Amino acid sequence: MIRRIVLVALGLVWLGPTYLLLVNASRPADTYDPASAWAPSGDFALLENFARAVEGANLAGSLASTALYSVVSPLLGVLAGALAGYVIVVLRLRHGFWWFLLIFGGTVFPSQMLLVPLFVGYSEAGLYDTRLGLILIYTAINAPLGAFVLRNFYAGVAFSIFEAARMDGASTWRVFWRIYLPMSLPALTAVFILEFTFIWNDLVFGLTLTQSEDVRPVMTALAGLMTDVYAGTPVPVGLAAGLVVSLPTVVLFLATQRLFARGLSLGSVQ
Amino acid sequence: MSRPPILGRFGHGYVAPAAVLVAVLLYAPFVWTAYLSLTRYDGLESPVWVGLANFVKLFDDDALLTSTRNTLIWVAGTMALPVGLGLLVAVLSYDLKGGAWYRVPFMLPYALSGAGLAMVWSPVLSHDGIANLLLGVDTAFLQEAPANTLAMLAVWTWQQLGVNTLLFVVGLQSIPREPIEAARLDGASGWRLFRHVTWPLMRPLTAVVVGLALVSSLKTFDIVWVLTQGGPGRNSETLAVTMYKETFVASDYGYGSAVAVLLTVVTGLASYLYLRRQVTAT
Repeated sequence: MIRRIVLVALGLVWLGPTYLLLVNASRPADTYDPASAWAPSGDFALLENFARAVEGANLAGSLASTALYSVVSPLLGVLAGALAGYVIVVLRLRHGFWWFLLIFGGTVFPSQMLLVPLFVGYSEAGLYDTRLGLILIYTAINAPLGAFVLRNFYAGVAFSIFEAARMDGASTWRVFWRIYLPMSLPALTAVFILEFTFIWNDLVFGLTLTQSEDVRPVMTALAGLMTDVYAGTPVPVGLAAGLVVSLPTVVLFLATQRLFARGLSLGSVQ
Repeated sequence: MSRPPILGRFGHGYVAPAAVLVAVLLYAPFVWTAYLSLTRYDGLESPVWVGLANFVKLFDDDALLTSTRNTLIWVAGTMALPVGLGLLVAVLSYDLKGGAWYRVPFMLPYALSGAGLAMVWSPVLSHDGIANLLLGVDTAFLQEAPANTLAMLAVWTWQQLGVNTLLFVVGLQSIPREPIEAARLDGASGWRLFRHVTWPLMRPLTAVVVGLALVSSLKTFDIVWVLTQGGPGRNSETLAVTMYKETFVASDYGYGSAVAVLLTVVTGLASYLYLRRQVTAT
């Protein structure tokens, strides 16, 4: 009984801010008053508020770019990782383990160690403030996780599948593209979702490597909007923006939950 | 596994995309930053070799002292609140009937992410914000140090508790039932049952959750950057924020790189010590 009381009490503490957020994000922007923030509003203006944020901060271009980064980079990263996993495990590349360590080792660096050279290097290479520049760095950051999960996955696949396909005359590339890659779809999806979420939420690379509104990822753009919360952006507009831009990751996760769980458990099979 | 390689030289074509990306965009910048930490560099003129001068300065810098203190608060606070409290909620609810429903309130905030989280809390914590009106006080939550770091830690806890709880619940549900039933029959219950039976059994999972929280809390950046930008003054900076500001606000690339190296060494050392303890303990 005590357990339930503690859980409910703590749960109420957690629900308080959630309630405040939902109520005030849906409140018509001009009727906001901190003193009556608890009172629900009769009108539902969440989407109007969001539209106002998109318009006011010019988020439309930023949202489109962020969608591009979050889809293209994980696709490329997971493909590069899968190729590496395939050649290391199935084709038994010479010194394969060292190649794997080289690739996976890329994940241990804190992003702070990368920022200065990326900023300077991108400026000189003409990649600063370009979509291509962001796609490249996000892809590089994503590839090691793909290699890790897919290497594990392919190690669990019976080698006879490969032999049979080769016997039938398929090239090693064809075996990869037509058999191994489709077979690992759940694992690929799990990695894709993790990486989509990482990129969608990224702040620091966007902050360092972009400048213009259209190229800048949405979280970085929002962080810029934050300083304006007091300088004119009504609170409900800010809240609605924060809420709605968080939705894609939630929707993606919920939509693919089962595939995701399956993919992760497959990835851990050795 | 000692079969010969199937694809000799051309095999490198398959491994090349990942290897090249990682080498050019992760390894090379890493090495370059390590080099820059030994130079004076403003991004315009060429770097000038200054040996360990930047690292000497680290030890004589009040701002760095503050951000080290704040980073330690973040690490300790993350262990105590999102992780510790998450464990509590998991243990209280995992074998309750309808336990999943009790956990819903903690999962909802996890839907918010990155800047969205800070965006939502800013009007709550601001000077004329909801928290002050609600509590009938007049506190500058984001002004005084270290109170501002604690306020942000509270926000972080609100968001992160759920996912930690979920991980602990998965761990608790996967431990074998027999030892627990046996201990129950022997008369163990409540705290003693948890301390001597359940806790040791869930140790491998706890090690992972704590390890991940340790590394990520050492690198705290996003929430601080969005809520206070490390201010007012520099009193809520963490090491990661200091690195960013020294580099891109003060244009002192050499010193910023030294802070990045410090952060890397601290993170690496903490991970090493932690892993070693985990290995010797099990």
